[in-house]
Formats: sequence, C-alpha cells, structure tokens
Amino acid sequence: MLKMKNINKVYQTEKVQTHALRDFSLDVEEGEFIAVTGPSGSGKTTFLNIAGMLEPFTKGQYLLDDVDVGTLSDNQRADLRNQKIGFIFQGFNLIPDLNLYENVEVPLRYRGIKSAERKRRIENCLEKVGLASRAKHLPQQLSGGQQQRVAIARALAGEPRFLLADEPTGNLDSLMARQVMELLEDINREGATIIMVTHDAELARRAPRNIQVVDGQLADFTLYQSRPSGVVTPANVAVEA
Amino acid sequence: MLEIKPIFNAMRRSKVGAFMLLIQIAITTAIVSNAAFIIYDRLQYLQQETGYPEDEIFHFAVLTFGKDRNLSQQFEETETTLRNLPGVINAAAIQEVPLSGSGSASSFGINPTTEQGREGLEVTAAYTFGDEHAIDTLGVKIIAGRNFEQDEVIVAENNDVMPNVSIVSQSFLDEIYPNGDGLGQTIYLGDMPMTIVGVVDKMKGPWLRASIADNFLIIPFVSADNFQRMVVRTEASQRAAVMRQIEDTLLAEYDKRVIVGLQGLDESKREYNASDILMLRMLVVLITVLVLITALGIFGLTVFNINKRTRQIGTRRALGARKSDIVRYFIVENSMICIAGLLIGSIAAVYMGQALLELYSLPALDHNYVAITAAFVFVVSILSVLIPANRAAKISPSVATRSI
Amino acid sequence: MFIHYLDLSWRSLRRTPLISALMIAAIAVGIGITMTSLSVYHMMSMDPIPHKSDRLFHVQLNTMDEGRTWTTEDNLPYQLTYTDAMNLYNADFPERKTMSMRTGFSVHMNSSEVKPFLEGARATGREFFAMFDLDFVHGASWTENQQINASPVVVINQELNERLFGGENSVGRQIYLDDESYEIIGIVKNWEIHTKYYDLNNGAFNRMEKIFVPFSLVVSKELSSWGNTNGWKFEDVRTFQDHLQSEQFWIQFWAELDTPEEQQIYSDYLRTYLSEQATKGRFERETVQFALRNVNQWLEYNNVVTEDNRVLVGLSFMFLTVCLANILGLMLGKFLRRAPEVGVRRALGASKRQIFAQHLVEVSVLGLLGGLFGIGIAQLGLWGVRQTYSYYSALATMDTYMLLAAPAIAIGACVIAGLYPAWLVCRTTPAIYLKTQ
Repeated sequence: MLKMKNINKVYQTEKVQTHALRDFSLDVEEGEFIAVTGPSGSGKTTFLNIAGMLEPFTKGQYLLDDVDVGTLSDNQRADLRNQKIGFIFQGFNLIPDLNLYENVEVPLRYRGIKSAERKRRIENCLEKVGLASRAKHLPQQLSGGQQQRVAIARALAGEPRFLLADEPTGNLDSLMARQVMELLEDINREGATIIMVTHDAELARRAPRNIQVVDGQLADFTLYQSRPSGVVTPANVAVEA
Repeated sequence: MLEIKPIFNAMRRSKVGAFMLLIQIAITTAIVSNAAFIIYDRLQYLQQETGYPEDEIFHFAVLTFGKDRNLSQQFEETETTLRNLPGVINAAAIQEVPLSGSGSASSFGINPTTEQGREGLEVTAAYTFGDEHAIDTLGVKIIAGRNFEQDEVIVAENNDVMPNVSIVSQSFLDEIYPNGDGLGQTIYLGDMPMTIVGVVDKMKGPWLRASIADNFLIIPFVSADNFQRMVVRTEASQRAAVMRQIEDTLLAEYDKRVIVGLQGLDESKREYNASDILMLRMLVVLITVLVLITALGIFGLTVFNINKRTRQIGTRRALGARKSDIVRYFIVENSMICIAGLLIGSIAAVYMGQALLELYSLPALDHNYVAITAAFVFVVSILSVLIPANRAAKISPSVATRSI
Repeated sequence: MFIHYLDLSWRSLRRTPLISALMIAAIAVGIGITMTSLSVYHMMSMDPIPHKSDRLFHVQLNTMDEGRTWTTEDNLPYQLTYTDAMNLYNADFPERKTMSMRTGFSVHMNSSEVKPFLEGARATGREFFAMFDLDFVHGASWTENQQINASPVVVINQELNERLFGGENSVGRQIYLDDESYEIIGIVKNWEIHTKYYDLNNGAFNRMEKIFVPFSLVVSKELSSWGNTNGWKFEDVRTFQDHLQSEQFWIQFWAELDTPEEQQIYSDYLRTYLSEQATKGRFERETVQFALRNVNQWLEYNNVVTEDNRVLVGLSFMFLTVCLANILGLMLGKFLRRAPEVGVRRALGASKRQIFAQHLVEVSVLGLLGGLFGIGIAQLGLWGVRQTYSYYSALATMDTYMLLAAPAIAIGACVIAGLYPAWLVCRTTPAIYLKTQ
C-alpha cells in the first residue's frame, strides 16, 4: 500500500544543511500496525510528514496505492490526503474555536460531503470514541485524553485507510495512553493501516511491527519483537540543529 | 547599548508588517504636512481683515413692482425710516454689497477711453454706487481726503448727469498713482472723469478670492431702480433685533415691493467663503482621523509583536532584562521604522506639494510644515508604542520556564 | 463551502474582538472619508442628461477684435451678444436651437392671500423644453405666434404651481410678474438634476428656475439679466436699446445637432456667419474663431468639478491606502497567529486554494462590515458638508450607485490588502505547526 524507495530529505537553511532522511526505504502492507521509534531528531516525524504528504521530499520515490506522490500537485496531494489519510497528533491540534462536532466535521467539509451524511458519520465516530454526548462542548472543556479521542474521531471520520499518529499518547498519562492505544488497536482490527510514532517502548511493543529510525535511516526491528528488552540503542545519534 | 543590530534582524524577519507601518507613516506624513499647509493658507484667507465691522452690518434688496411712486423719493423716505429705527447707526442705498460675491468691476485709467482705446496706466477695480452715507454705513475709515458732499451725489432720473468724484481704497490708489500723489488726481471710468476726493485704508471688494480683492471704489450715484440694495449698520448687539423688523417696517411704509436677501455681512462673507470653510473642515477631519488611524495601526502592530514574542520577552526577563530594557526595545524598534517612514514621507510630502502646486492653484508648500509634521508624527508614534510596551514589560519571567 | 467560510470568518472576528473592531473601524473611516468626497465628486461630474449630452451643443463665438483676450483657456467669451443670438436663432438650421437668459420677477396674485415674492425666471425660445427634456404635466410651450408677438404667457413648474394653486391644473389662470398679468399656458415637471448645465453663470449647482417666459419679452419688457453681462470695449450704453445693440455678451445659446454631419454643417454655417459679420465692421478679426461644445465638454471647460474637490478625492484615496496598510499589518499578524490551525486543516485535507479562499472570505467580510459602517460615516460627513455649504445640499448625497460603490470599494480594498496575508498563510508548510501546541 505504501512504498518508499530511497527517500531523502534535506533541510536547507542559510548556513546549515541537515539531512533528515537518507535513502529511506519502507514497504507497508494493507492492514499493518507499525510503531516507529527512534531517538529524538532521528527523522521519525519527517518520515511521518512525508508519508502524510505534508512535506515534499528531496529525492527518491514514494508510491501510495501505486500513485507516485512525487508527481502530484499540491491540490492533488491535499485531495489524496483528505481521502486516504487520517492524522493524530501529540498535541491533539483540535481547533479551539470549534466544538467537538465541528472539529470532526472539518475533513468531511473539505471532501464536500453532504450535510446529512456528515452528521451520520460524525455521530458515528464520536460514538466510537465515547464522546457522543459532548458533541457541543469546546475542546478546552475536555481532558487531554478526551481531546485525543476527539482527534482520533476526527481522523476516523473521513474513513481513511491509513492512519498516521505522531506521539498520540505523548501528552497523556499512562491510563489514558492505554485507552487511546486500545482504540487504535480496535481501528486496526477494523481494517485501517496505522503508522504510529512513539517514544513509549511499552506501547511500541504492542504493535505487530516495530521499526526504528536512526540518523535518518531505517532499522527494521520486527525480528526482535519477541525479545523482552526490545530496543537496541544505536551507537551513533545524529544531532540536528 | 541600543541593541540596534538584533532589533534590525528581528525586523527583517517580519519585514512586511514593518514595511506596512513604514508606508503608513510615510503617507501620513505626506498628507498631513500638505493638508496642514492648505489649512493654514485657508485660515489666513478666512481671517483676513476686510475693513468692515462685519457683525454690525446687514443688507437686503428691495424689489419694487408698484409703479405709482417716484422711486428716488421713495428711497429717501426708506433711508430715513431705517435711520430712525432704534439701534441703527446709519443706512444707505448702495448698488453692490462688498464681500458678497456679487458686484461690478471695470478698468479705470489715468486717461479717458476714446474710439482708439486708452493710453497710459489702467487698473482693474470693483466699484459700487452709493450716497454720502455709504462710507459711514460700511464703517470704513477715510484716512486722507474727505467724504462726499451731498451735492456731489447724483440722483439719477436718467443717465445724463454723471458723478465727477470718487472715494477709493488705498491699495487701488497705490496701484494707479504709484508715486503717492493720487489724492486729488483724476481717474476715468470709460470716458467719465472722476476726482479722487477720499482714500480709505482698507475696504475689500465683492470678491475676496479675486486678485483685485483690495481694489474698491465708491462712486456717488443713486440710480433709483426697481431693484435696489440697502446696507444698514447697527450696534452689533442690536443687529438681530433690527433685522427682524425690517420687512414689516418697510412693507408698512409701502407694500408694492418685496424685501429679499436680508442677511448680515458676516453671513454673506461666510456664504461666499463656504467652499473654503468646507475644504478647511474636511481637511481638519481628514488629518485628525488619519493620525488617529496611524496611531492605532502602530498600537495594533506592537500588540501583535508582543504577543508573538511573549516567550522571548519572558526569557529576556528571566535572563535579567529590566522592565525599562523591554520598553526600550520596543521604542527603539518602532523609532527605527518610524524614522525611515518619516524620511520617505518627507520626501513624498515635498513632491506632493510640487504636484499640487503644478496641477492646482495651491501655494507652494512651506517646508517647515514637513518638519513640524514629521516631529509630530514621531511623538504620536512613540506614544502609541508606550502603552503596549509597558504592558509587555509586565510579562512575568516565568512564562519562559513554563513548558510547552 | 462559501457559507461555511462565512461562518468561520464570523467566528474569527468574534474571537479577537478588539483587533476586529480596529480593522473594521479603519476600513469604515477610510471608506467614510473617501465616499464623502467621492459622492460630491460623483454628483458634480455626473452627466446631467446622459441620453443626449453628446447632441446638445453650446455655441461660443469670438466677436471681439483680434488680440483681445478673455478669462477662458481659449479666449472665447462664454456668452453671445443679442445681435448674434438673434441671428443664430432666426437661421433655418438646425431645427432645435435656443437662446436663453436668467432674469427674475416679483411674483404675486394681485391679492393679499399670497405675499409677493422674488423668483428667478428663464427667458428663452419655445424649443427649450423639448431640447432639455423638460416634460409638461399640463399645457404646452408657447406658440410661434405668441413668441413673435411677445405675448404675456408663462410656463411654471410643479413646485410653483403647488405653491400658488395647490397643485391643480392652472393652465389658463393668471399670475402677476412685476405688476403685470401673465397667462399660464403650461406646467412642467420639477427638474431633477443638480448641475445647472444650461447656464453656469450663477454657479453650476444653484436651483433651477421655476418660471419660463418667451425671450421676446426681454425686449418688450426690458428685462434685465440676472446672470453676467460682460463687455470687451468701452461703449456708451445708456438705454435698453443701446444694450441690445451693444457688443456686450449676456445670452447663452444652445443647438441640438443629432449627427456628425449636422455638426459639420453647423460648423460651416458658423464659419461663414462670422466671416460675414467681420465684414460688417462690428469687430476687426482676420481669423474666425468659434466653439461647439457638447454638454460634458461644456462642464469640463467650465471646471464644474472644483479643484478643492479633486484635491480632496486624491487625499481621501491616499487616506484609504493608509487604512489598507494598517489592516494589512493587522491581518498579517492575525493570520500568522492562526498558522497552527491552518496546519491542522491542511493535514486534514484542505487544499491551498481552500485555505486561501477561506481567508479571502474573511477579509471580504471585514470589508463588507467596514463598508456598511463606512456608509454611516459618509452620511455623517455629507451631513456636515450640507451644514457647512448649503449650496452643495443637492450634491452632498449618496445615490444608489454610490451606496453600492461603498461596500464594493471596501471589499475590493480589503481583498487587495488581504491577498498577501492570505497567500502567506496558505503557503506555510503545515508540518512545522503540528508537532508543538
């Protein structure tokens, strides 16, 4: 479903050139649940942003459902993102002016879905994350875990086949983190492919496939998944500006 | 230690906002200095001395349609009636009212006009016909010579006998007899000779805006017409009361006539100058609001900058910056933009002044106005930045340490 | 989607009430000031008779000695002598042409019920009404016979008819002008124009006359001009007859020429006429000079739009620019602060175009609100103008066109000011705002 081949990403500022990803290659099959770990600054988020077409890449090839992303215009990428990809962020990124219902509605609006259908899907998604009764509340009236569940509902509303989560539990305590993780696992069981960036080794272990990004390159740790210690610390950690 | 370099770098990063502020300040300076100069010019014009006690004088016209009276006699009676009203100082039949925008003008020469034209000096001036009461009624002062004698005033039954004297304004006299020996000399209206018997220091003609505004003559002639203007001078405090009874009094005397255009001389002047007053008021409103808007713009932008840099300010405070350092930072930042804007604005103001001078009949811009305006805009900009900057200085150093 | 954007804009405005109020105030004041001077300009420069302004021509002839100058740019006097006006009027061509002059009477009803009052009047040819589109409510213009015989007949307008006869059909009744009785033969509609283009002598924006009489009465009743009478040489003018035969200029003359051919024919005619007159010794001229100016050219030639007003319009638009720079700065700040939200929207599938549109809708809403408040400010400004200068009272108003122009200019201006901030915000890479709060 997702094929990245020799992706490179270079950030260019006036004085410094930073190689965030180098020759990064990855294949993801439909229905996988992948946890991405790695030291901070190793390129995890860059990988996720490129996977979600939020950022262009410098070199390489990225096929999403056999579509060559590199050849698409910004608008086409936006449409593709809107149809296939759901995002979940560490900071939830709910829009503070909009109530829960309206927050979930945002991607549906950009897809041009009719109001009746939007209502059905939003209610459905809020139901799924257990917040249907609070649809009219504003984000700041909720706890962090609840906010993240809304963000997940928002990601699910578009019925994406591909869910990208960047530290979805980073701002949550462990109980809430577990709840969110369970929700993600449910979603995965229903068929969505999930890529989750996380710091939390315990959570990472719950994912069927673990990959580690080190210094902008991929180290596939699926094989070590059964080992209790799980993570090997790489010797060389890139320092980024 | 004014930290200009880091401020400049910070500005370069938000250059559009700074640039917009610069544009505002530049245009404001250009507009305000030119508008202030036009305002000053109009004020000078509006407040000039006319020679008349305008608040004591009023005028009106009598349109007689009855044909059963001798008009000359009728006006003699009317003048007497007017002079007998309590509060009235004097009254006169006059052909044209000064300052009113309506009058007659002609060229006067030191030689008569003949079939071949005229030789020698010619000066254009406005004139009015009036009787021996005209000088006193208009409240002007004869500084040399004398008033008309009663027998010099020609009361016209037909145009056969013409007056042969006149009283002129100093400025006309200086123009037609530049050597200062004009009093007693002769001037010609067409081929009609008149001796200058009196000089008035200042009496403006009917058109204040005209180049010949100061050239005015009174010729002793009463052409009793079915349309006759009258001027009346009263005590200033009595004028309104006298004006109220004019129509009834005069119609009681004889009713086959219409009294029109009853108006104070100051009001007539105001009406003639209404377009200048309008321009003046509009410009005052314009520059007041403009300065206000610019001040609000500076205020708004500073508030934004402060909001954007809340953490940065907190960090600076945490690292030991005093409140005054923070205030100074914003003042220096604003001043740098402001000075650049003022420089550009001043140049634009001068060019704009030149363009106005070329395109329209406006006087050349006095550059002092640009300098004063620039100083004023600078002070306003500092004041507009002080309020938000003081608020910024109150930002607690703890915001810097608070986590994401 | 548009409705949704409107909803978002409204929320956004309410979220930062102070800044929103500041921006709306800036636009409103800018538009208010601009519309005040622009409305006066618009009224001043408006074509008073749009469907035939290019077919009505004002005639100017130079009947002065060679080398004489006048106050006009081309040294042509504004008006004609009585001799020339009569000659042109009595010529066969064109069919519609007329001389005219402002005069006036004391009007009364020979009874004590109506107090006599002074009223301006127009002495003119019988074609005047048809030429200048003055429609009759009752009756008609005077006949050719009445004109030749200087019959005491008069046409009045509805307003005067209302005042004297309570608005009923008064054709056939009598009124007194200067103690002589005249028969009312027609009542015309009130003239709904603000520029007195047919006679600019007494100011372009004064009231129109309410009384019209045959021009032949000028001679028989020795009516004096209430406009300007100008001479260019010394003439001993003592009687009215002298005045009629003099070279003084005091009569306006208009001709209706429907096609370029007619204009050419008339130009040729005037050229021949002037050469003829020169040979009669009235004036010494070698070069023939005359001008036919249509209504708009005539207004332009007379500088009907005042210099002050042009300066004010210019300054107002500069003022508007300042207001725009002002809101541009504020919008930039406001939009950039919202970049994180935009990042989220982009991540959720919004295209750049959608983000751009959303922000343009927001600035348009600002513009619309500013424009509406601006109309209020402009009304206040125009009220001030009318209070200061009653002569402008018919001009200092906003017609439908200006009422629509105000929000249109406001929205247009805001969109221009909003383009850059909107572009900037839609262009930002969404990714950088997503990581942190």
